[in-house]
Amino acid sequence: MSETLPLPLQLVWLIPLYGFSGMLLSLPWASGWFRRNGPRPAAYLNLLVTLLAVVHGSLILREVLSLGAQQVVIPWFHVADLDLRIGFDLSITNLAALELVTFMSLVCQVFALGYLDKEWSLARFYALVGFFEGAMAGVVLSSNLFMSYFLLEMLTLSTYLLVGFWYAQPLVVTAARDAFLTKRVGDVLLLMALVALSAWAGSLEFNDLYAWIDRAALAPLPATLLCLGLIAGPMGKCAQFPMHLWLDEAMEGPNPASILRNSAVVTCGALVLVKLMPLLRLSPLAIDILLLVGSISAIGGALVAIAQVDLKRTFSYGTTSYLGLVFLAIALQRPLLALLLLFAHGLAKALLFMSVGSVIATTNCQDLTELGGLGPRMPATTTSFVVAGLGLTGLVPLGCFWCFALMVENFRGSHPLFAGVVLLTNALTSFNLVRVFRQVFLDQPHPKTKRSPEVNWLMALPMISLAVLVVLTPLIIDRIDPLEAITAISPTSSVLVLATSLVGLAVGWVVRLDAFWSRSLFRPLRLLQDLLAFDFYTERIYKATIVAFVAAMARLVNSVDRVLVNGLVNRIGSASLASAEGLKLGVSGQLQSYVLTLVAAILILLASLAWLKA
Amino acid sequence: MPVIPAELTYSGGRPSADQLAARLLVGETLLAEHPEHLVEVVDVLKSYGEVLDAYSINLIFQAERQFLNPFPVFRFLDGDLSPAKIWRHLNHDRINFEYAEYCMKAMLWHGTGGLDAYLDSPAFLDNCRAVIQRKTRRDPLLAVLDPLFPGFLPEAIRAAATTHALGQFWRVMSDLFLDLAKAEASGSVASIAAVVRFIQDGLVRAAAQPISYAVEVEGNSYWILPPEAGLTFLVDVAVPYVEAVFLRGMPFLGTVSFNAQAQQISPDQAQFAYGALYADPLPTMGAGIPPSLLMQDMYRHLPDRLHALYRRRSRSEGDVRVKICMSFQKSMFCVTNAAIAGTFPHPLDSNDPVAQAANRAYADAWAARLSVARTDCLDPWSDRIPT
Amino acid sequence: MTLSLLLLIPFLGAFLLLLWPSEPAPGRMRAIAITTLALQLIWSLWVLFRFDPSLEGMQLQESYRWVASLGLDYRLGIDGLSLPLVLINGALTLVSAVCTRDISQRPRIYFALLLLISAAVNGAFLAENLLLFFLFYELELIPLWLLISIWGGTGRAYAATKFLIFTAVSGMLILGAFLGLALLTGTADFSLTPVLSDRLAMGSQLVLLVALMIGFAIKIPLVPFHTWLPDAHTQASTPVSVLLAGVLLKLGTYGLLRFCLGLFPEAWKLVAPVLAIWAAVSVLYGSLAAIAQRDMKRMVAYSSVGHMGMILLAAAAATPVSLLGAVFQMVSHGLISALLFLLVGIVYRKTGTRDLEVLRGLLNPERGLPFTGTLMILGVMASAGLPGMAGFISEFLIFRGSIGAYPLATLLCLVGSGLTAVYFLLLVNRAFFGRLAITPPSPDPVSDSRLDIRLAGVALRETLPALGLSLAVVGLGLVPAGLGWLSETTSTAMAALAAHSGGLL
Repeated sequence: MSETLPLPLQLVWLIPLYGFSGMLLSLPWASGWFRRNGPRPAAYLNLLVTLLAVVHGSLILREVLSLGAQQVVIPWFHVADLDLRIGFDLSITNLAALELVTFMSLVCQVFALGYLDKEWSLARFYALVGFFEGAMAGVVLSSNLFMSYFLLEMLTLSTYLLVGFWYAQPLVVTAARDAFLTKRVGDVLLLMALVALSAWAGSLEFNDLYAWIDRAALAPLPATLLCLGLIAGPMGKCAQFPMHLWLDEAMEGPNPASILRNSAVVTCGALVLVKLMPLLRLSPLAIDILLLVGSISAIGGALVAIAQVDLKRTFSYGTTSYLGLVFLAIALQRPLLALLLLFAHGLAKALLFMSVGSVIATTNCQDLTELGGLGPRMPATTTSFVVAGLGLTGLVPLGCFWCFALMVENFRGSHPLFAGVVLLTNALTSFNLVRVFRQVFLDQPHPKTKRSPEVNWLMALPMISLAVLVVLTPLIIDRIDPLEAITAISPTSSVLVLATSLVGLAVGWVVRLDAFWSRSLFRPLRLLQDLLAFDFYTERIYKATIVAFVAAMARLVNSVDRVLVNGLVNRIGSASLASAEGLKLGVSGQLQSYVLTLVAAILILLASLAWLKA
Repeated sequence: MPVIPAELTYSGGRPSADQLAARLLVGETLLAEHPEHLVEVVDVLKSYGEVLDAYSINLIFQAERQFLNPFPVFRFLDGDLSPAKIWRHLNHDRINFEYAEYCMKAMLWHGTGGLDAYLDSPAFLDNCRAVIQRKTRRDPLLAVLDPLFPGFLPEAIRAAATTHALGQFWRVMSDLFLDLAKAEASGSVASIAAVVRFIQDGLVRAAAQPISYAVEVEGNSYWILPPEAGLTFLVDVAVPYVEAVFLRGMPFLGTVSFNAQAQQISPDQAQFAYGALYADPLPTMGAGIPPSLLMQDMYRHLPDRLHALYRRRSRSEGDVRVKICMSFQKSMFCVTNAAIAGTFPHPLDSNDPVAQAANRAYADAWAARLSVARTDCLDPWSDRIPT
Repeated sequence: MTLSLLLLIPFLGAFLLLLWPSEPAPGRMRAIAITTLALQLIWSLWVLFRFDPSLEGMQLQESYRWVASLGLDYRLGIDGLSLPLVLINGALTLVSAVCTRDISQRPRIYFALLLLISAAVNGAFLAENLLLFFLFYELELIPLWLLISIWGGTGRAYAATKFLIFTAVSGMLILGAFLGLALLTGTADFSLTPVLSDRLAMGSQLVLLVALMIGFAIKIPLVPFHTWLPDAHTQASTPVSVLLAGVLLKLGTYGLLRFCLGLFPEAWKLVAPVLAIWAAVSVLYGSLAAIAQRDMKRMVAYSSVGHMGMILLAAAAATPVSLLGAVFQMVSHGLISALLFLLVGIVYRKTGTRDLEVLRGLLNPERGLPFTGTLMILGVMASAGLPGMAGFISEFLIFRGSIGAYPLATLLCLVGSGLTAVYFLLLVNRAFFGRLAITPPSPDPVSDSRLDIRLAGVALRETLPALGLSLAVVGLGLVPAGLGWLSETTSTAMAALAAHSGGLL
């Protein structure tokens, strides 16, 4: 660490600690230490430390804007040829991501104060969010793969705990388990790659790794396996096919956590992939797989989203879909595009989930078929939904319009297929947003939406603030990246994006809603509906394959253990004692066996030694 | 695996609907007669009465003084902005008014009875229009929002009206429960039957009490629920309250999945059975269980006698709020019992077969709903297994 | 005397207990035992203070001639391998004495045996003479056998006998190998330092090594010599399980590193590839068997089989990083498994069952065991190798150190480590999530939801040992540099020995 660095930069190690300290500060309330007083001070303390993180982050950003990118490295554990370090890579993009993460966390925590106003376990929730935020802040700034992995695993743990927040609810039990295990599969694969990389490349600093691949002489197989392992971690974090199942189930968790998960957490996962991107050059096959995964996730996610009747789930599949596009951009070596899309998507998706949260808080309902007519009565919620929808699609020049246009512009010549994927995703998303909007906000009020006053100010205020931010996204994008000039986009690309959005909007506007989610009588359509509604039956496929396999192996090993190994032992035991009573003998029998074995063992050993010596 | 000791688990009895109906028809109390039951019910209602007093004051304050305030930051402070009060508020050393709002939302959302019907009437909309016209004159934010979202302000006024009505209802109930405690202390109430009768009398006395609500905007007073709407305590507020909070309730995020695909929640609100008489007391204070807030509030106002009783049971202080919840459920059965007894279409001792049949039908309807409620708490022995 | 006191303190404590006049109250016995063990732990810390991690080889050595004719010398010494284990022994025997409550049956003998075990284990870790090691190794066996067979569960007779036979065979094999080494090399010197094996032909080396290997494999235990462990654990009381998993299994891995690798580096190199595969099989076998268990304690026991197998992998690879990882894994497995057994013990004491088909919702804040549940989540996550806790850095070091030598075995062990998350998550989700219940689910969910559960509360003092261990687990996970500093020199020297042994011939 250089002495000459300005103080905010020297203290950069505090950034993840703000979140973690929030967790520690919440513990007295979360553990029930205070019996008479409620848990709210824990929430206020967390808000305070998160605010500190935001402020500290912006101070660093300001310094870095004038000084240029910096690295701050702190030694952690050094033995033999292994050097593990805590490293912070203070580049503009990382810091922008940090600001996104900490700001989203702040907004979410305010929102949660309103959404969870009747929640007695509030302190535990804030403790977990603090943990979550600390891990995310560390991941985005991390300058080495070890620290990234370390914190990604902490994210996995905190996802498990946040999804499991309402631990007494039956579906939460399975949801938390699946969320953890799916991510863990990705993490273990990433760990395999990490261990191998550490042994091969020595240093795990990203910059050293980038230098290493030029001289690395790996055979194709290890190289491919390595890259696949590296991809697996972010795939799990970003809920990409086929590891997307958990995001659907994670919607059992509290909505404020869903907001973070669909905006900030997936961004962290993708950011790690962006940092790993140069390494993927080692394996063209891995790149192809990344493209395939991205495309399937983008289109598959968007299609599955359309068939969902659940308000939260329909948009969580949208996250899978958009992250699929991010994966495409990364696979095609366009990190800036990926970052821009992550940024635009993160803000808009968070806003969308806030709007969804306030619908649920008001109506106690997530079922689209039971919602309707909220528009005229809920100004903040409706406005947020509309702004978020516009921010996510290419209808008006907000965030995603520019991202999509840039992507189409970039891919059109070299990879027209992937430009098509972008446009198709855009159309499908527009369609989905419009049909949900019609159902929830227009239409006639249903019994459960007959009385629906606007949500309280603690939810409305963060929603509106974020809506303003989403409207300002193009300006922010311009600030982050003046190079990828919007002017460079050809009219053709813009028109293509606009046209696909309009198609989606038009179809979404005219499609008959009742017919759309009641299962059709027309058999092929019904089959398709079910296929999409049940997410290509991914859960059942998993159950029938991996889960069944592991369970069968466990049963097999267990019966081998009981019957074969243990049975053999018992038989030897009985035989050596030359008694039918076997191991049930009394003390004298035990003594006998002791002596017998002793003598036998020594005899055999001495005999073999004598033979060897001779 | 070892056998689980029987005293660690207990399942109370579950009387059938017929048994319950029979008890109602002969005027027998639902809750079994027992000295400890009496202590539990009276004392828990006493603490409930004190909590309701605070709830009621705050709801009325909110409806009158925070009317259409888009940022009601200090709505729980009852207008007292002294640093000490703000500190106590920040330190969460206070009554959880969020639970009062939760009950209000349940009433508003389920929307049954006379109050709800009035909220949809043209007269109410006229009242709203007058208030909104006045309010938007000085409030640019509302002035912009009202034409864009025409349903917004009327809906907010409906919520305010429900808030005020609930505040008035709880005023009566709070006084009644505190009087009950006094009566028991003086010895005039000495049995569960007397408790039910006391509450029944109180409800009957208040039945015709008018419910009205006016707000002051810019120095002018406007009727939201005018006296001429003819809303009364029992039929228009108490009965919808019982329906919304005691019986139907709203699903708890901590125990029920909102996942549409899982279809755990009925699309028909009338089928809901999440209310106070149905809820499982064991997860109290767990995550996603809103009544925990009420239990905490009652814990803060727990009479010493009941506290001493709880200390002798199971985990002593460790699970006191679950025990409060169990006692609370008992007391709510008494209140429901009183409400049913007070609303029989005919006197129970009538010899007229038509009247008897009508009573029978009424009792059957209630018994059918109550038979799937947590009637296990009615058993006098449920708390007496030694631990 | 510095090291001898580590033996003398608990020995004297045991004698004090046995000679105590009249029959004193159990509480008094417990207090004496705790005081003695606390003194022992303080003295261990003093040894830590005196220890110089930068030095290779044994330190603070003591040597007295004892039975010269047999080559049995009283020689003690400590290095970066034995010091962490002595510390773990000091801490965990104290924990197991502290968590021994309501011991009504023969408390005097119980605590005396506990102290005896602690002394014997310290002796085994410190012994610089093969026969001395064997003596202590055997000395620890009988007290443990008694602890299981007197204070165990209903099936204790079977489990204790099984434990006795297995460990006896283990002892015989070890003794045979030591005798054989002396016989074949023609010296009557059983001191640890000289590497005698290079005088032997490879065939003899292999026979001795295999005998020694199986002897220690029984103790560790490695598949297929593990079947005594789940039975012993399920029948043993909680403090004995803590001792067994946390301390006594470490004798096996200590022997593996000190004697198998240390005495036969050349033969070791030859069999190492087989050992790596053995390690992978053991890890996967233990993890898969754990998934199928419904008794929480059996599950934790099988997880031990899996986690201890990784030490064999590290030993097989014998690189500086992997050997350091082995030391880390011994320490962290000691802490984590002790923690898990403590928590399972609390659950068992409060609910009367450990059956995962029966327990549900124990996180319930008022009527359940929320704090125990919280620590359990921490414990299983540590065991599953989540970063920030001791298990991760240990496994990372092992994998990182071994992947170069045995990539396939390492990857298989990684899979086994991933499976840990599966069964422990099942444990937590089944027993701690959901609606509180301690009865088998009935076909009618409504009547389940009406069951009133009245578990006794967990007092803070009951969870204090577990809380202490949890803090240690997190501490080691966040600041591994301390232990690394302590053991790096030794593990590097051992790796060098293994690497260069071939060149000497």
